[in-house]
Order: sequence, then C-alpha cells, then structure tokens
Amino acid sequence: MRLRWWGLVGFVVAAMVLLGVQPIRAQDGGGDDGGEGKDSFDQRCLDCHDGSDATLVFGNGEKRSVDFDLDAFNISVHGSSNPSGYLSCYDCHGEHPFPHESGPYATPRDLRLELNARCEGCHSYQAELGSDSVHAVAMAAGNTNAAVCVDCHGYHDVHKPGVPRAEISLTCGTCHTDIFAEYKDSVHGSALLQESNPDVPTCINCHGVHNISDPTTNLFRIRSPELCAGCHANKELMNKYGISTNVFNSYVSDFHGTTVTLFEQQDPNAEVNKAVCYDCHGVHNIRAPDDPESTVLHQNLIATCRRCHPDATTNFSTAWLSHYEPSPDKYPLVYYVNLFYKVFIPGILGFFLIVIIPDAFRRFWGPSHKEGEEQEEEIVDVD
Amino acid sequence: MSTEKSTPESDRKMIFRFRWPERIEHIILLISFIGLASTGLPQKFAQNHLAESMIALLGGIETVRIIHRVFATVLMATGIYHGGSITYKLFVLGQPPYMLPRFSDFTDLIKTMAFNLGLSKKHPRMGRFNFGEKLEYWAVIWGMGVMILTGFMLWNPIATTRFLPGEAIPAAKTAHGNEALLAVLAIIIWHMYNVLVARRNLSIFSGKISREIMEEEHVLELEAIEQGETPQPPPPDIYRKRMKRFVPFAIFMTILLLAGLIWFVTFEQTAITTIPPIY
Repeated sequence: MRLRWWGLVGFVVAAMVLLGVQPIRAQDGGGDDGGEGKDSFDQRCLDCHDGSDATLVFGNGEKRSVDFDLDAFNISVHGSSNPSGYLSCYDCHGEHPFPHESGPYATPRDLRLELNARCEGCHSYQAELGSDSVHAVAMAAGNTNAAVCVDCHGYHDVHKPGVPRAEISLTCGTCHTDIFAEYKDSVHGSALLQESNPDVPTCINCHGVHNISDPTTNLFRIRSPELCAGCHANKELMNKYGISTNVFNSYVSDFHGTTVTLFEQQDPNAEVNKAVCYDCHGVHNIRAPDDPESTVLHQNLIATCRRCHPDATTNFSTAWLSHYEPSPDKYPLVYYVNLFYKVFIPGILGFFLIVIIPDAFRRFWGPSHKEGEEQEEEIVDVD
Repeated sequence: MSTEKSTPESDRKMIFRFRWPERIEHIILLISFIGLASTGLPQKFAQNHLAESMIALLGGIETVRIIHRVFATVLMATGIYHGGSITYKLFVLGQPPYMLPRFSDFTDLIKTMAFNLGLSKKHPRMGRFNFGEKLEYWAVIWGMGVMILTGFMLWNPIATTRFLPGEAIPAAKTAHGNEALLAVLAIIIWHMYNVLVARRNLSIFSGKISREIMEEEHVLELEAIEQGETPQPPPPDIYRKRMKRFVPFAIFMTILLLAGLIWFVTFEQTAITTIPPIY
C-alpha cells in the first residue's frame, strides 16, 4: 500500500522533471527557511530566465546572458538531490524585484563576488576555513581574480566535488595553468588523469581544500616532508605500488632530514635551506625515480645536487644514501664501518670492564678492606 | 689539592709530576673534549629528546655546528702544540720516550689482573706512565686521527668527493659518530675510574702527586726520583746546539701545520654558508 503510494509520487515527480516543469516546492519537507511564496517567486523568475536571449550589460560594457539552465540546476547538489530541498533563486540572488535595475556592477566579476558572499549563509564551515586561505589573502590584498567559492564549484550546476577525482586538479588547473602543465605529466598527475588512480594526490591532498595555505612559507617548507610521509610512510598504500615506506625515516636519519627536523623542533617558521623531499624529487613535476626525466635518477642526480651545491663533482651525489639502508650490497663501506664499531666499541669497553671490575672489588670490597685501613697500605707497598 | 688536604695522607710528601704547560694542555684538552662531545653527541642522537633540548639550549643546530667546529679547531691547534712539545722533550731535552708501548706494559696488565683477582700477591712495578695511561694516550692519538680525518670529510664533503667516492662521506659520518661515542664512554669508564674512583689522582691539575699513588702506580719512577736518577737536561752547550736546530724546525712546522689548519677550516664554504631556499 505504502509502496504503491511512493511509486505514484515518484512517477509524478519524474514526469514533471521530464516535462521541464518546476517541481512543487511544498513537497520539500520545509527544511528551508526561505519563507512562503518562494515557489511562485521562482516561477516568476523562470518565466523570463528559462530560455532567455536577453543579456546583462555591465558598467565596463561586458555582456552576460541571463539565461538559466533549469535542467542543469535540477541535477545539481542544490536541485533534486539536496537533502534540505531545492534552493530558491531568492536564496542566492536575494530579493531582486522586477523590473530589475541595471545594477551597480562595473564588471561580471563584481557581481559574482557579491553573489558569492551568499554561499556562507549555508556553508559557514567551509567559508570559515577559506577565510584565511591563500585565495582569501590575495583577495584581501586586492586581487579580485583570486578564487572564490563559485570559481571552483560553479553556481547553477554545482556538483558533488571531487567526482571524478581528476575534476579536482582540472579545476585548479583552469587558473594554475603552468603548474597543471607540470603536474599532468608527473607520476601523480598522469596516474590521476590517465588511470583515474584513487591513491595519487590531487592538488588538494597536499594543499588542502578550503584552508589552502601559502606554499611558499617557511612553515610549509619545513613541514613538507611530513606531508609526503603522510602517504609515503603508509605501508598499506605503498605496498600496492611496491614503494618503500622507509623513505621518511631514511631521510630524517641523514644530514638534510636531521637538520630540517631539528629546525622544525626549534621553530617551525625557521628558514631552512637544507633539502626537503621536493628539492630533489621536484614539486609538481615529480617523476618516478626510474623515469628518464626524474631529477633523482642516478644520471640526473648530480644536476639536482648542484642546485644547492654548485661546486659538487660527480662523486658527490653518491654521498647521499638514496634512502637505502647500508648493507653488504648497497653502500658496503658504510655498512662495514658501522659493523666494525658494533664490534669495536663493546670490545674496548668490555676490556675496560674486565680490568676495572676486579680492581674495584679488590679495592672496595676485597678481603684486605674488611681487615681495616692499614692493610690497604701494605698492598701498595708489596713488590 | 684541597681534596688531598682533607685526606689523612695530607702530610705525606707530594711528588712533582706535571709542569704547568702540560697541565694547561690537559685543561684545554678537557674543555674542548667536553665542548665537542656536548655539541657532537646531540647531533649523532638528534632524534632523542634530550638531544633536542640540548640543541635548543645551545641556540639551535646551526650554532651547535659552529661551536663544534670552534672546539675542533682548538683541539687541532692543541694537537699541533703537542707535537711540538713532544719533539722538544725527546730531541732537545733528550727525555726517554715514556709513552712508547713496551712488552712490559702487556705483562704489567696481566700482573695487575692476577693481583686484583688474588692470584698473585705482587703488584707490578711500573714506570712514569703505566699501561693504563699509555693505553689512554694512544687512544687519544688514534681517536684524534680518526676524528680529524673523518671530520675533514664531513666539514668539506665537496672537496672530499673530488678524490674519493661519495660513499666516503656517509662512511666518515658513521665512523665520526661511533668513534665519538667510544671516546666518551672510554673517558667515563676508564679515565674517570682510574683518576677519580680507584684513587683521587688530580696531579694533572695540581702538578703534584701523592707518594702513595706513586708507590702503587709508578714505583720505578719514584725510586729513580729518590735516588736522583731522573733523566737530566743536557748541558747548556748541547742544549743550545739542539735548540738551534729545533727552533727553526718548530717554527717551520708550526707555520706549516697552522696553515694546514686554516686551510682545513676554511676549505669549503658551501657546507655552512646559507644558500636561500628554492621555495
């Protein structure tokens, strides 16, 4: 009985969508506090904007179509799938009485920035996160091209973000074209874009989503090895690709990593010129270490070293253990020097103790000691 | 000295053992050793929390590295001085090579062990420097050799890899750290036991040693002193003749070695100069 009733509702809704009829808002469950009369208000908007040829002329002479794609809206996150119900035009555009005034907007960007402020009304958490992001800082500094919500998410046709994952990096790439050009050929980018790999980082895995921080700060640099280690020290993840998870530990135990770690402990905002992961492996252009274009491929490594050590000669690059644990096969000299001391130190100290312990016993707990101080005098005089 | 006054043996005869240059040399060695160890071991064990606080206390890793290099320079300069003073003692004053290891040192060790274990009633009769002191002296010589050689490689990695394979650098690093650990543990266990625990022998600071310690450790020298058989300095004319050769040689070697030391510490700048980060 119940089932049949829902089937009927479904049929009616589907029919209305197919016919391009605005669904009846009264069925939305009242989650929205848009107020009464909103449905008729929307219908009034659609009367003109659904399939309109009209354009809006901005102060600078630029024109934009005022057409509204209802179908795209209905399948957007603010359309039929929205758990709180459809959004009304009013929710974002505000009360916008007809006939519309030409508006005080000099450019389409000005209008977009003003309308963008409405996102915060519902998405306050994301807006809060974004408020000190690198984009918000740039905006505050007067760069009106800095990305705002709708630049990345779209407006009437907002989709669930990150589906498919490649969409994330493609979105960033619309503005960050040079970086995207590097990224798309990198080991991470090519796997994402060509193989839809679910594990490689998109832009946001390293840079964050709404709270994207400035990647040129000392803090970002000093913490970056931990960022890489987030995935590269994850055994489960790396085993899938046969990548060693020892890279972080081997980095920290070598000169560069030790120093960077010490700097971080002392002051995470300290300026540090010692190499972090991306100094050698590249930033957006990271290649697999066996890729001929890899900056860490043996033949290319010396050029990479020279970026910081300009006087380095070819032998210099093998001073770095390349994340290997010294063994009889890899870096045998280091392995055997270490082995020598593993035997030598306990050997020498053991010898010392063998000499000292009987001496101490004789001196402090020996039989002569029990018999009194005078006895001790005799011992030293014995010859 | 004050400690000796507090012991019942205070009125015993004190015997002269070390002249002031030797005492100063030891103090410089002591200070630079502690300086090097306290700035070096935290670098070896950088991931240890105590090491972290130690480095923070000393003003950060860059400062720690500079302090380490300053003490290293001081110690190397002391080494140069030591070479000069040994040459003077052996070839100008004509002193016997007290520190040269002899077979008797080995038998003295066996005899000491036997005596301590109660297998023998006889304590070995030893000279100015006994086997334990010779062991320490040559350990310092060996240790300084290793530390200077590997320290040079770590200080000047780019220069080193011009003529050695790159692998020499991490090998030098592991040798430097391990040798340091050995040196510090040897000082704590062997040296501290022998000069502070077994008996309080502060003669390297005061210059004087108690007769009691002399009897136990250097009875042969004690007998020689008391019988006036200690090696005498050469007569003035021979002394002057020797000095005529020694002084130019010493000046030449000092200049040469100091130049080498300056070359050492200024050889390469990239290891310490700050190249601005790429990002």
